[in-house]
Amino acid sequence: MKLNNLVLKNFVRNLNNYGLYIFALIFSVALFFSLLTLTIDEAAMEEITTSTPMTALFSVGSVTVVIIIILFVMFANMIFIKRRHKELALFQLIGMNRRKIFGILLLENFIIYFGSLIGGILLGFFISRLLLMLLLQIMRVDMMVEMQFSPTAALITAAVFVFIFIVLMIQNYVFLKRSSLIKMLKLNKTSESTGKPIGKLTIVFGIAGILMIALGYYMSQTMFDRAMENPVMLPIYMVSILFLTILGTYITFKCSVAFVLNMVRKSKNGHVNVNDVLSVTSVMFKMRSNAFLLTAIAVITAISITAMSLSYITYYSTDKMLDSRTPYDYTVNSTEEIDFYEELLNEEGYEIDRMEKSFMHYNVATTEENTKVELDNLESIGLVIASDAEFDGFDVSENETHVTGTMAILDMFVSFKEGDPVTFTDDKGFERTVEVTKTMEEGILPAYLSFGMPVLVVDDAVYQQLAEHQPESNAEYEMPSELYAFNIAGGDNQEVFELMDDEENPEFTSRIQEYNETIQMSGMMAFIVGFLGFAFLLTSGCILYFKQIDECEDEKGSYKVLRKLGFSQGEILKGLALKMIISFGIPLIIGLLHSLFAVKSGWFIFGIEMWTPTLIVMGAYTVLYSIFALMSLGYYRKVVRNSI
Amino acid sequence: MLLKATDIKKSYGNKFNRTEVLKGIDINLNKGEFVSIMGASGSGKTTLLNVLSSIDNVTGGHIYIDGVDFTTLKDKKLADFRKNDLGFIFQDYNLLDTLTVKENIMLPLSIRSMSKREAEAQFDSVAGQLGISNLAAKYPGQISGGQAQRTSAARAFIHQPKIIFADEPTGALDSKSASDLLKKLQQLNETLNTSILMVTHDATAASFSHRVIFLKDGQIYTSLTRGEMSQDAYYREILDTQRVLGGVVDEAE
Repeated sequence: MKLNNLVLKNFVRNLNNYGLYIFALIFSVALFFSLLTLTIDEAAMEEITTSTPMTALFSVGSVTVVIIIILFVMFANMIFIKRRHKELALFQLIGMNRRKIFGILLLENFIIYFGSLIGGILLGFFISRLLLMLLLQIMRVDMMVEMQFSPTAALITAAVFVFIFIVLMIQNYVFLKRSSLIKMLKLNKTSESTGKPIGKLTIVFGIAGILMIALGYYMSQTMFDRAMENPVMLPIYMVSILFLTILGTYITFKCSVAFVLNMVRKSKNGHVNVNDVLSVTSVMFKMRSNAFLLTAIAVITAISITAMSLSYITYYSTDKMLDSRTPYDYTVNSTEEIDFYEELLNEEGYEIDRMEKSFMHYNVATTEENTKVELDNLESIGLVIASDAEFDGFDVSENETHVTGTMAILDMFVSFKEGDPVTFTDDKGFERTVEVTKTMEEGILPAYLSFGMPVLVVDDAVYQQLAEHQPESNAEYEMPSELYAFNIAGGDNQEVFELMDDEENPEFTSRIQEYNETIQMSGMMAFIVGFLGFAFLLTSGCILYFKQIDECEDEKGSYKVLRKLGFSQGEILKGLALKMIISFGIPLIIGLLHSLFAVKSGWFIFGIEMWTPTLIVMGAYTVLYSIFALMSLGYYRKVVRNSI
Repeated sequence: MLLKATDIKKSYGNKFNRTEVLKGIDINLNKGEFVSIMGASGSGKTTLLNVLSSIDNVTGGHIYIDGVDFTTLKDKKLADFRKNDLGFIFQDYNLLDTLTVKENIMLPLSIRSMSKREAEAQFDSVAGQLGISNLAAKYPGQISGGQAQRTSAARAFIHQPKIIFADEPTGALDSKSASDLLKKLQQLNETLNTSILMVTHDATAASFSHRVIFLKDGQIYTSLTRGEMSQDAYYREILDTQRVLGGVVDEAE
């Protein structure tokens, strides 16, 4: 019986423990490979990036995936090699030298990595097509996809994995070099849960950690408002918020959690039940020793949820954004141009709804409520005023006004709330005040005519009154006052656009074109960010799972004792379930809270809807994340069942 | 003389906070001798065994096995040394759960060039003597503690080392399994002429050996040789020494 035989046998029987690890590896290779294939496949790339040159985004995505994979693999490797110290020590005892042991590790890792590499590339080849279809679906591009196996992508993937392999081997080498035999033999006897009593300092820090996070949250909510007053401060605010929350998170894991759990423990006054033994007392110390890891996981969870939420907000808001900024199918510059296109389209059998509207620019007195920015202390700002007689669907009473085209991001400059008074002024004494009775996100003018500002619809009588008191125009150029637009009866489509899209035809802006550009841009962004988020979710979930396996093996003895004391499997598992909730829940909740506040502080830059897309992202993340908690619980169940 | 250790010192901690565990110990072990080391908790007996068996480094002093000082050897030489000359038995067996009993026992043979037949013969002989031949295909999880410890002993003996180091081999066993194991060790010690150095806190276990060395506070307190004594008389002698050594017998762990 040769050594390699035995080692292989040992490895194969250990494979059970490696199962999830190998799965995660294969999956990360597959993700990386398919992302790479998409980047390299010229046909696919051309289709994807015709209007949006975003190859760079894909490259950034791939690099990030590689970094995630490297960190994950290194961490998992460390857990596994520590887990196996007993075996490694035994090998040394029977007279293997370190080089030989290193050779064994090399062989094992070789099998794992290159096995997963091949598996991952195969899987990646299949899912790359799926992913491309998904991407095109997200970007709302209709196209049949043909994917070819890309040897270049396979080569790059292989190269990256060889690199990771080398890094791992260095890590293993250093571990072997640094740990003496006596240390390895004793490793299983020193558990990380050497409980130091909770001192006063812990309490102080525990409270400080929570306060720091709270302060960070508070600052994040007022950041943009303050930054409007003093833009130079924005980066300073951002850095201090990051600093506060990240350090606060670390201290929370290091001290606050232990401190809070200790209070729970104290409140029981010695009457700990089985749930407490298995969850509170166990987690309390483990959290402390894993504070750094948990901080990293919580922070990156927060970053990825935030990024996913924001990109999804953009994607999700596209339609509403267009309703607000580009309300008509086509906009041109004169009646003649509408005539031109009407003729053109009628020939092809398309009917159009013509829109020729007039409106005017008028001054609105600034008040504390409606103007956030000190616009050089202007007493009034120019906004577009429209008559309810001109625009369909409006019926505004004489002393009222409806505000259209409001967007969250505009609130930082001008904001009108229902009930606010609005005073029109010609800056020479004429004033007319009406009350805002309705605000809506939909716009009635394209953004380039309203300068991106809200448009106020007033009663025709008021409109006429204002028109009589036109202030003298002091602008350097004529303000636009006419809208020439048309909608396609029965809905616009790509064919109409292509009919009109000709260099010889008069210029126009098209809603469908703008829609495609926006949706492709935001779709691709959402796709890549989602992709990275998923890779991260997978790896961080695995790491927490491995940690739990590790703890489970350490605590095997306790389950045996508990069962000998007469506790049933169910009772023990209930306690362990509580432990899972704490161990997985706390990093998740902190991550979710961080991202919620991060999203809240700046979402309006990205779109119109916040809650729905954010909650969808968070919900999906939580569900997928919980799978790892359930898997850990499953592992515990197996161990508890076999413990006696 | 097979093993000769002179002025062994071992201390832990840093420059400012040192704990001396072994304060200069001299020990000799002859070929085929079975020696026990006894002492209260914290007397340094396990540390001594670790140091003598090359698991731990000494802070000072020299250890010669067959005239070779291994305290100065590099990893590769040291590994060869363990491979050929040393065998280990631990309190917690140290068996690999993923290998069968037979595979566990054969592990030390797997790293040397030995024909399959020879290896089989070795296994049959050792397993037969320890009475575990019928367990060969079982996994460590499926056998009792006594059987596991005999498996561990078989692994220590299979490559016919010069010395076997046993750290509380009976510590986790019931008295029946313990005396079974010790009888087997005694037998193997006689038939194979392998030296055994055993740390124990159990006077019964110690009474199987030729000589008992008592440690106190990192120094050798005294030693007892069985000579022509009956095992019973020897046992009582050991108990008496233990009593003198300090504390009640029951406290000696």
